[in-house]
Amino acid sequence: MDFLRWIEQSGFSTWVRESGSVWAYPTILFFHTLGLGFVAGTSMAVDLRLLGFAKRMPIAPLERVYPVMWFGFWVNAASGFILLAADATTKIISPIFYVKMSFITLAVVLLQLMRNGVFHNQSSVQTNLVSMKGKLMAAASLACWAGAITAGRLQAYLGPVSGAPGLTNHF
Amino acid sequence: MNFIMSFIVAFSTWLKGTEMSRFVTHYAWVWPACETLHFIGLAMLVGVIGMLDLRMLGIAKGLPVAPVHKLVPWGVSGFVINVVTGSMFFAGDPFQYIHNYAFWLKMMFIAIAGLNMLAFYVTGVFRTAEALGPGEDAPMLAKVIAGSSLFLWVGVMYLGRMLPFLGNAF
Repeated sequence: MDFLRWIEQSGFSTWVRESGSVWAYPTILFFHTLGLGFVAGTSMAVDLRLLGFAKRMPIAPLERVYPVMWFGFWVNAASGFILLAADATTKIISPIFYVKMSFITLAVVLLQLMRNGVFHNQSSVQTNLVSMKGKLMAAASLACWAGAITAGRLQAYLGPVSGAPGLTNHF
Repeated sequence: MNFIMSFIVAFSTWLKGTEMSRFVTHYAWVWPACETLHFIGLAMLVGVIGMLDLRMLGIAKGLPVAPVHKLVPWGVSGFVINVVTGSMFFAGDPFQYIHNYAFWLKMMFIAIAGLNMLAFYVTGVFRTAEALGPGEDAPMLAKVIAGSSLFLWVGVMYLGRMLPFLGNAF
């Protein structure tokens, strides 16, 4: 906890949180939104295809959008780390934060599993048909991104209050 | 300009007295639920329209355009979700928006993005783009429209995220 307090009170974290500059907290938040648009949004589009919409889209070339998703993911990992650092002592004891991290971990694992199970699967690539397993992964992926977005937004409303140790949100 | 603003203020005063406005501010769960849906809607919009735009610009060129275009209704659904939730935010407290220049800029960007999308269809470049097979390069006009689309929607996301920080802070 002392380590987290040290991170939270570091010069950079304090600047992000308290400087009032539009380039600090607001800009980091914007990048987080941008990343989410690209990683979750593109993943949603891929998942829709795997679930059978736009059936005439060939499977193999769709793998080329993975870099777009990784771009979004890393923008969010970086901005997310900064946001976490600015509020470390609160987030670490916030259940909804862990819910969000779980959804994201699962979503990223699913992206990799889908890559192997669908895009690198000779049968899917040749027939452009997706197995039941692939469809289940796509559905789970959609649910995980929706869950991550929901948990992320609800961080401001549930659990411990940022900057007010001992205080909890009440609904 | 003052005449327009006084009309907007009058409209906002009326809106603040409606049942919808009371609904949005009365139940604690409404605002967070709307915010969550607003983010999900934006992901749908940016993910689908972004994929189409990126294809026009040459990413994932192995994709024929027509099927990617088939996903557009999902992007539009995301947009509709955001118009609905956005209207609910506005109805909840119009006065925190109408004096914020970031809000008006965001609306302007959305309007221009809409016109940009209209241009895609009205100019007919849509027909050429739809016919593009795997590996084929999009016409220059399609690329310009696609690039503008990406810029405009990123701009909308930026302005939306900045609403509490630019102009008059809430």
